[in-house]
Amino acid sequence: MTASHRERAAAPARLALGLAVLVSTYRAAGASSGAPPAPPFRFVDVSAKAGLTRIVLSGRPDKDHLLDSSGTGIAFLDYDKDGRLDVYVVNGWRLEGSRVVERGRNALYRGLPDGTFRDVTDEARVGGEGEWGSGVAVADYDGDGWPDIFVTNFGKNVLYRNLGNGRFENVAARVGLESPGWNTGAAFFDADGDGDLDLYVASYISCSLQDVLDAQRTLMWRGLETVAVGPFGLKGAPDHFFRNEGGRFVDATVEAGMQDKALGFGFGVRAADFDGDGRIDLYVANDSDPNYLYRNEGKGVFKEIGTWAGAALDENGAAQASMGIAVGDVDGDGVLDLFTTNFSEDFSTLYHGVGNGLFEDVSKASGVGPATYRPLSWGTAFADLDNDGDLDLVVANGHIYPQIDRHPELIGTLAQKNLLLENRSRPGAPAFRDATEEAGPGFQESWSSRGLAVGDFDNDGRVDVLVSHLDAPPSLLRNESPDGGAWLTVVCEGKHGEANPIGTTVTVRAGGRVQSRDIAAGDSFLSTNDPRPHFGLGAYTTVDEVLVRWPDGTRSVRRGVPARQFLRVRYGS
Amino acid sequence: MRVHAGVVFAHGVVLAGLVGLGPVPAAAEGPGMAPSTPAEMVATYSSLADGILALKRTEEDLCRSILAATNAHAQVELGRAQKAIAAADAKGAQAALEGLAADVGQMATEGDNAVAAVRKKLLDGGHHHNAAGEAQGIFDEGFVVVTRAAKAKLLESSRGIGQMARAPKADALEAEWKKVQAVVGPLLKPAR
Repeated sequence: MTASHRERAAAPARLALGLAVLVSTYRAAGASSGAPPAPPFRFVDVSAKAGLTRIVLSGRPDKDHLLDSSGTGIAFLDYDKDGRLDVYVVNGWRLEGSRVVERGRNALYRGLPDGTFRDVTDEARVGGEGEWGSGVAVADYDGDGWPDIFVTNFGKNVLYRNLGNGRFENVAARVGLESPGWNTGAAFFDADGDGDLDLYVASYISCSLQDVLDAQRTLMWRGLETVAVGPFGLKGAPDHFFRNEGGRFVDATVEAGMQDKALGFGFGVRAADFDGDGRIDLYVANDSDPNYLYRNEGKGVFKEIGTWAGAALDENGAAQASMGIAVGDVDGDGVLDLFTTNFSEDFSTLYHGVGNGLFEDVSKASGVGPATYRPLSWGTAFADLDNDGDLDLVVANGHIYPQIDRHPELIGTLAQKNLLLENRSRPGAPAFRDATEEAGPGFQESWSSRGLAVGDFDNDGRVDVLVSHLDAPPSLLRNESPDGGAWLTVVCEGKHGEANPIGTTVTVRAGGRVQSRDIAAGDSFLSTNDPRPHFGLGAYTTVDEVLVRWPDGTRSVRRGVPARQFLRVRYGS
Repeated sequence: MRVHAGVVFAHGVVLAGLVGLGPVPAAAEGPGMAPSTPAEMVATYSSLADGILALKRTEEDLCRSILAATNAHAQVELGRAQKAIAAADAKGAQAALEGLAADVGQMATEGDNAVAAVRKKLLDGGHHHNAAGEAQGIFDEGFVVVTRAAKAKLLESSRGIGQMARAPKADALEAEWKKVQAVVGPLLKPAR
């Protein structure tokens, strides 16, 4: 479909949103400043061809317990620092009734030059230690220059320290991070500004393996089906904050002011500097409880301000069943915005940042609410998928009750299509349009998806999408959108040679437009994105300025940078 | 203290009931007649009902007390904020206003996160203080005193006060505080 066809196809939707005038004004402004009309999206699932074949095991077919249906995270990383993205997939277990049939093994796939992957799990020794896996966060926790892999589990957590020779060793017990429980989202970040990475780990429900094995479906769903109980009726488990003390992690949850007093059902976690004060804050998505926004007060102390900061509840004052998180400046106003995915028949929420760490729910006005109301949503990410200079939004969907398949007319089925929402914002007015139908075959497939990560696995300048599903291998949605705009990907090399230090912020200025990205470990739903900041540039072929703000506050600047390249910036240069 | 009194009272009722369940005199029964419940059992159940209702009233009083305590704390923060604004102490004003915003938010949610955990526990156990009100959309699940409408207004005020923190103005603060009190005042008055 050509750009003009797409413009015509999009018109009714825009009219329905009542944004036609605003959008065309913005489009015209973009055109006059040299930005090309956005090209159509096209994503193709190449996972099987690429070799991502290991099935993610997900409990019992009937999903008798929430652990059967909560799914697992997924990560893009470059563990061998060869410049190509690798993939890590967390796995669960397979059950039959109350019997454990198979303990799934996590998978590490090494990216090869031809765009395929080789399963190197065994040689790398990162199979998961037999635990029922949840999430993954990737960061160089020990500052030795090599990215390490932290896996949260229903059970003991695993920290795979990268030995730099293609192998890893599990050091979780040694460094104090096993913390048994139903651990879910995790994020590494420098909480106390001492130069090393601390860690927050969310937890979901307090229950034993025996509880899971013995689970019976007793909750009546619409008087039609019995489904898995929870999270109401089950006891929440407390989240933990671990302070890095010379490579050993100490539980400093209370000391840091991060005590999970509500025992919220924690899932996604994302660290970012939401108030722009140079200190990294933390956001936690809670299922059915208010979300937490921990503002960093300095010296490793936090204050939970979610309610009055406008980021804990929806615009009606209701707690939502939040799962995943995306963070980015969607409207180009220089302030970070927040997006949380939620349960079906409730909209996912776009919190527009209004400055100083405060937010307002703009889900309805932005079009995000209506587009996300029906599905049950999990992993999510902002990324410029058409390289037009703004952040689009992808959302992984899938229900938790297989029993609804007997009544598809009510709220759909267990398997659902994932969503692609195209950014149509202008500064101060976030706006999105549902572009799923025209996003290519990869977005027409239905799965019960969970984890989601974005990254440019084939290094072609177009951001691809990686999604994990229940009881299936992951999908790798290769971005084949024709004739996208120009782009720039920045590869940051830290003080100790580490690739893409967590907490680094990269800002680019091109043609009067300023865009920023931060580097995070722990994002989306239990997942980690490609750590290399990517920028779509539209028609601009030269970036006026690239500013890298390193975690210690020092800066590196490049000017007059040609587009369509991977720009390496080294600390101190 | 009323909580303790209520709990003790309820336990007493239950004990009294158990004692009363000893040998029960047979009620008048005859062929073809439905057996009537022994009067002692009815009396015990009636006493238990009084206890249950007293506990429910106690829950309401406690939640109102939580609200009142938070409101009192908010008034202290308000005073601090006003003084700081008058003294052009931006840092002090910001801290006080953020504290005030947190208090108002806490009133909206009828307590802090620790209270939320208790509310969740009650809901998990099937206890809905305002079940009818919830069904009618007047109350959020588990809320005892703060209606949904009051919650929305208080949340809006808490966000408004939070936004004021970086650029405080005395008259705007006063106006917002009046809004808060207009909502909280009626909630603090006992329903009975």
